[in-house]
Amino acid sequence: MPSDLNWTERLLYRLITAPSGVAEGLAQEKSFAPNALAHVIAGDDRLSAEERVDIYANMYFYRILDVLKEDFPATLAMLGDARFHNLVTGYLIEYPPEHFSIAYAGRRLADFIESHPMREEFPFLADLARMERALIDIFHAADATPLDAEAMRAIAPAEWPALKLMRHPATEILALQWNVATVLGAIDRDEKPSPPARKQLSMLLWRSRNRVSYREIDGAERDELEAIAAGCTFAEICEMIASAAGEENPAAAINQRLEAWLRDGILVRG
Amino acid sequence: MKRSDFPFLGFGVGLRRDHYVHIIENHPRIDWFEILSENFMVAGGRPLEVLEAVCARYPVVMHGVSMSIGSTDPMRRDYLRELKALAQRCEPAWISDHLCWTGVGGRNLHDLLPLPYTNEVVAHVAARIREVQDFLERPLLIENVSSYMAFRDSTMTEWQFLAEIAERADCGILLDINNIFVSAFNHRFDARTYIDAIPRERVIQFHLAGHSDHGAYLLDTHDHPVRDEVWDLYAHAVRRFGPTSALVEWDDNIPEFDVLMATAGKARAIHEKITGETPRDAIRSELD
Repeated sequence: MPSDLNWTERLLYRLITAPSGVAEGLAQEKSFAPNALAHVIAGDDRLSAEERVDIYANMYFYRILDVLKEDFPATLAMLGDARFHNLVTGYLIEYPPEHFSIAYAGRRLADFIESHPMREEFPFLADLARMERALIDIFHAADATPLDAEAMRAIAPAEWPALKLMRHPATEILALQWNVATVLGAIDRDEKPSPPARKQLSMLLWRSRNRVSYREIDGAERDELEAIAAGCTFAEICEMIASAAGEENPAAAINQRLEAWLRDGILVRG
Repeated sequence: MKRSDFPFLGFGVGLRRDHYVHIIENHPRIDWFEILSENFMVAGGRPLEVLEAVCARYPVVMHGVSMSIGSTDPMRRDYLRELKALAQRCEPAWISDHLCWTGVGGRNLHDLLPLPYTNEVVAHVAARIREVQDFLERPLLIENVSSYMAFRDSTMTEWQFLAEIAERADCGILLDINNIFVSAFNHRFDARTYIDAIPRERVIQFHLAGHSDHGAYLLDTHDHPVRDEVWDLYAHAVRRFGPTSALVEWDDNIPEFDVLMATAGKARAIHEKITGETPRDAIRSELD
């Protein structure tokens, strides 16, 4: 590895990602004399060395900002442009991109918001960003053949009790403190969103025919889906559903639950 | 690597999300598509479904932005593994990426940064291209980037640097005509001198795109029509290199697909006027 090249690349990396611009980045370079950049990068009458590096610094920030605006439209709508810009500035310092694909640049935004002072004014923001990110992750999650009603009927009833089911890889359950689905709904309808209500809930997200959908689920359904992910058998899941249904027609409760899961493609065969 | 090892694909456009539905439903008569590899390096879902549909009907080439062939970080094996898996999925006519670095220290700038043009860097990059070609078991094309800065350490011109690396690595060249034009303005060199110095045998593909004018510099934005000066330079390149697969890139302010078709059609018309040949549209007529 050429050491000069490594030194140059590391220097440029620091300058391009300096949060307040290349000039401030240069000031931080303790072993670097003023104007020393001009000995590395050729400036001319049109643009100085610093201005040339600044072009890259601007592109770095705004390219990622644009991607995050597209990935987090509801978070952006709630914050407005200026606050979102500041949020991303801080985020890139804490979580600079490491993945080779820019599509992953926003993967830790919700984690960053968890400890951000902006959360005092927008306490629902981390939940909102987590939900928006989950929609993207599920859109790109692995394919698998979902179990539908016809496939289920093709399995001999005698095999059902020991049948192992799995959750489709393109499903996720989020534990939320705020009903952020109302914000996403407003964005989808091109309406100005209002802050969501505080509400502890579980949200099931899934992909069906390339569309990502979501719905609130109750604690019983969440536990059943977690049990499926943990490898419980069909008989064990049915027991859980029946037990949650109590005295009221457990068979109908099982049918209803299974019908919804099969319709939405939530399950695959284990 | 020989030029004759690569098919002449004709005149294509970059596959972009805005046009997925139109392409899948209407099967427009375009010679070929170039995909951005990273957009399809995902576990599943719609992108891979679209890719399958496009590959079933059109020749496809994979074009990446994250190989970081000029970085001093070790080559990312996870990236190369996914790239190879994607190539096995869509069997591209070839794979290309940029002669640049995109990050260092495990961090990614998501930009195409230029390198100092020195013998040491030539050796470094050529060795890495060979490593990639061995891993992928396919030849790689490297593309010249637009640049806004140049290094005091450079001991050769950009075109000498590109040609030398391609020779030493035994790889192909994707010559971006717009990037040459942009960098020629930004660094005050003669674009035709650049083109005339590139070895004919190595050039497998051209890129055509629009840029924006910021007064003191030109920026490679891919958000405008191809400028007349770039078309003139393309004509010069066709005269030098002969029949070469050409591709229109448009990444921002993306117009209707018909506009891209018309731009690819203009590239074809210029090619026909200069070479006096009508490239036989073999692939499309077979499909039809």
